Amino acid sequence: MTKQLRVALAGNANVGKSVIFNQLTGLNQIVGNWPGKTVERAEGTLHFKGYTIRVIDLPGTYSLSAFSIEEIVSREYIAIEKPDVIINVVDASALERNLYLTLQLLELEVPIVMALNQVDFAAKKGIRINAEKLSKKLGIPVVPTVAITGSGINELLTTVVALASGEIKLNPLKIRFGAEIEERVQKIQKLVEKKLPQICTFYPARWIAIKLLERDEDIANKLKSHENWAEFLKYAEKQAAELEKMHGEPSPVILASERYSVASKIAKEVTIIETPPKISLEQKLDAITTHKVLGYPILIGVILAMFSLIFVGGSYLSSFLESVLSDILLYIEVGLAFLPQEIVKLVADGVFGGIMAGITIALPYILPFYIILALLEDSGYLPRAAFLMDNLMHKMGLHGKAFIPLVLGYGCSVPACIGCRIMETERERLIAAFVVTLIPCAARTVIILGLVGKYVGLHAALAIYIFDLTLVFILGRIAFKVLPGEPVGLIMEMPPYKKPSLKVVLAKTWSRTKDFVYIAFPIIVAGSLTITALNITGFIDYATKAAKPLISGWLGLPEAAGVPLIFGVLRKELALILLSEIVPLETLSAVQMVVFALVAMLYIPCVATVAALLRELGLKKAIAITFVDVAVAILVGGLAYRLLLLVIA
Amino acid sequence: MFRRKLHGHNVGNNEELCALAELAEGEKGVVVKAIGGFGLVRRLAEMGLTPGTEVKLVKKGSFGGPVEVEVRGVALALGRGVASKVLVKPVKDDSP
Repeated sequence: MTKQLRVALAGNANVGKSVIFNQLTGLNQIVGNWPGKTVERAEGTLHFKGYTIRVIDLPGTYSLSAFSIEEIVSREYIAIEKPDVIINVVDASALERNLYLTLQLLELEVPIVMALNQVDFAAKKGIRINAEKLSKKLGIPVVPTVAITGSGINELLTTVVALASGEIKLNPLKIRFGAEIEERVQKIQKLVEKKLPQICTFYPARWIAIKLLERDEDIANKLKSHENWAEFLKYAEKQAAELEKMHGEPSPVILASERYSVASKIAKEVTIIETPPKISLEQKLDAITTHKVLGYPILIGVILAMFSLIFVGGSYLSSFLESVLSDILLYIEVGLAFLPQEIVKLVADGVFGGIMAGITIALPYILPFYIILALLEDSGYLPRAAFLMDNLMHKMGLHGKAFIPLVLGYGCSVPACIGCRIMETERERLIAAFVVTLIPCAARTVIILGLVGKYVGLHAALAIYIFDLTLVFILGRIAFKVLPGEPVGLIMEMPPYKKPSLKVVLAKTWSRTKDFVYIAFPIIVAGSLTITALNITGFIDYATKAAKPLISGWLGLPEAAGVPLIFGVLRKELALILLSEIVPLETLSAVQMVVFALVAMLYIPCVATVAALLRELGLKKAIAITFVDVAVAILVGGLAYRLLLLVIA
Repeated sequence: MFRRKLHGHNVGNNEELCALAELAEGEKGVVVKAIGGFGLVRRLAEMGLTPGTEVKLVKKGSFGGPVEVEVRGVALALGRGVASKVLVKPVKDDSP
């Protein structure tokens, strides 16, 4: 029988943790969410020396305070699930900052092996770390690794197994704080041990004491189910207040300073700085891409290049796929001809039509888009773009990081909504998700380019994009003003430029595309089936009649355009295909084309996006966003119709 | 000319304190204190901007955009508002 081991990966963001995870588990991964949380959970298994090892990739965090859901998820997993070994992935080129998390892992009193990663990159920067000395200082094994090449991974696993089987004994560093802090930690700790023995089965008493002294709101809430909690918290509160009075700082700052001074001391003792490196290519690239003036044209150039590459290349691939799939569709229709016509329609138009739409959008547009985006992200360009965009984003109550989900939105709104998780607060996630639904995704771009771009001219299509960006900005700003709460400022690491790793790029691309495949795709197919059924039963005709005053009266579109717009809820580009089947596109006036494209772009997030909004934000906010989008589309469409007529006249 | 009363006591003899955002590009300063909400102050400390730490202002974004600072060997981007809430004592000497 094989022995089982559970290993968790913990580390800062941008340290190559996901590369190590991929090296360890290969393709044996299950990516999902932490139960009840919108935090991604990646898990994989591997076999090594007769062990079956389950690896959990904890979210990348800088600390284990209650700052974010990610930090709470990580520390709860470590304390409650008690994995056999924690692999702490550390960036050798930024040891001091990384040790801050290591020290907090040590506070949790769990078995740790350190993967001292990116030693090659550190060496390039003139930084050498004495791993043996570091291991002695921390009292835990330290294995130097270069995750990208796989170097050190085998030693890492050997060490993990040796630690789990008891071959290696740990003598972990016990961090002692300054006297006045230590005294208070120990006082609270004694009380925890005496009064709250139940909680000590999960969390070390000393850790609870430290967290209480740090005014950790999450731990304080957890204690509320225990007896005498009020009195107890009051005591801890008093200790924290005394300490704050002595130092003139909030207690978490005092403890962070203490940890950092330990981290700094250890880092200095084990680091050898070699000849200061001359200015590298990466630094030059950094200087120019975040340049006060040059940075912006470069950013616009990068984005335009990406878009033209994807949409020009994509349209060829898409029409090729479409012709192949149409042939298959024909075969299906012929093959099923013996069945009643309604059933043939359901299978062919409903099910296969849905699959076809998913494939012709995902393969030619979404997949390449996310590959390029992952390249930009892994190389380090995206944080620089966020840096440049921070100021503009602030006007919408967001900050620079929101630029990333916004750009994701040009691919598919579903992963973009999920990408809004990088925002720190609920409020920011809501604003970002709202704005994302107004960004034309690949399917909407197909409408804009295929209708307006083709028949009215590229300048008109471009004008729609610029109008959309302006609208996004205005509506984002309104949302920011209307929603209660304080905006959060930008605090973001700027990782150095590096050569992107193929494995990471592919893994990232897949993790975003899979949101489309698993969430959007089934909904597209199911929705396609439903609407085909409604069409057969004649319900659509009825709806078209009901919507007539809106469609032709207010928006100035042909009456029949209502049907495509109803179907467009499923998947936007279907609206154009259907429109062309009902009305010859060239018979539409330029104004009608522009109005149709505007409405299709804004009017409702497609069903898959609504599903993503539901998952990420809950029912109320998902309904609110949908409602606002519809209202905006009707308003903008009607106004555009009237204004454009005036302009032309 | 930056003088503030914080938490009821004066922060040293601080004629020459300024906000981190006010440093010139390439200039260094030592963090004295961060002012602002509990969450922000804690986050800044966790990212390494604890009192007594030397920071270097690497770059200022245009149009009042964020600043890039180097602290503990790591490059951080801080929104202008955030960087205005960190008080530093400028370091005159440029040698490390």
